[in-house]
Amino acid sequence: MAFAPLDPLLHNQLRLAVMSFLVAVDSADFNYLLEKTGATRGNLSVQISKLKEAGYIEVTKSFKDNYPNTACRVSQHGLAAFEVYVAAIKSYLKN
Amino acid sequence: MEQHLTPEQSLKVIEGMIGQAKRSFSRLSFYFLLWGILLTGAMLATYLLADIEPAMRHGMPWGIAGIGGGIISSIHGARQSRQEQVANPMDRIVGWVWGSFIITMMLLLFGTLRNGIDPGPGITLLTGLPTFLTGQIMRFRPLILGGLLFWAAGITMHFTAEAGTLTALYCGAMLLGYIIPGILLKRQENGLRAA
Repeated sequence: MAFAPLDPLLHNQLRLAVMSFLVAVDSADFNYLLEKTGATRGNLSVQISKLKEAGYIEVTKSFKDNYPNTACRVSQHGLAAFEVYVAAIKSYLKN
Repeated sequence: MEQHLTPEQSLKVIEGMIGQAKRSFSRLSFYFLLWGILLTGAMLATYLLADIEPAMRHGMPWGIAGIGGGIISSIHGARQSRQEQVANPMDRIVGWVWGSFIITMMLLLFGTLRNGIDPGPGITLLTGLPTFLTGQIMRFRPLILGGLLFWAAGITMHFTAEAGTLTALYCGAMLLGYIIPGILLKRQENGLRAA
């Protein structure tokens, strides 16, 4: 039986954690994702850039209370990719 | 560094993060405590001072509590939204629930006062709805019970006109439906922040 291939971009613990969090909220700040994932600032920044380059998330830079702020949200493309990934994972677990 | 994940590990990551996201509510305890204290104070002032000061009989404490609470809530809400690090769809739903409650309450207030009817029992009954729904959305049992208590107090208030009984029912519902759940919610929020 052939298994559906897993999206390599999502098949990474930190990127999957970020995507899983973002699909359940409207948006989240970088620092909040840092707190929730327990990742290092550098690693999270790299993985967010990869997700952004793939068009899975949208990143908005602004100022909040005079401090630079980075907010992330899942794009429609990212949501579709996440759903495909979850379906593939489920098919692996069923077999 | 790329890590290899088994399907079970992937599922665990997904479930864990979605679970965390669902618990990322705004801090709401402030509003329950603020309004619980203000409205209980307004009810007690109306009851205790009605014979001394005629203005108390004509809704002055409710006006002060309503305007004061509205100003404090707006300032607190604006400050909170500037500091918020996550936008949760559940927060938006809770906001719509309370917004629609306020509109319905204002219309009810207008309609009842225009016809010379005491709005207290109807508003108490109506308060059960957003309190119960907020409790269900947040899966926070004290607010669910609070909503049920408002319904019970509200319907009971329709069967009495005695000022002491009405005051006791309203203040009891406020204490058990807003203030105590507010204290418990504050503890939970502080615990979640510390975790």
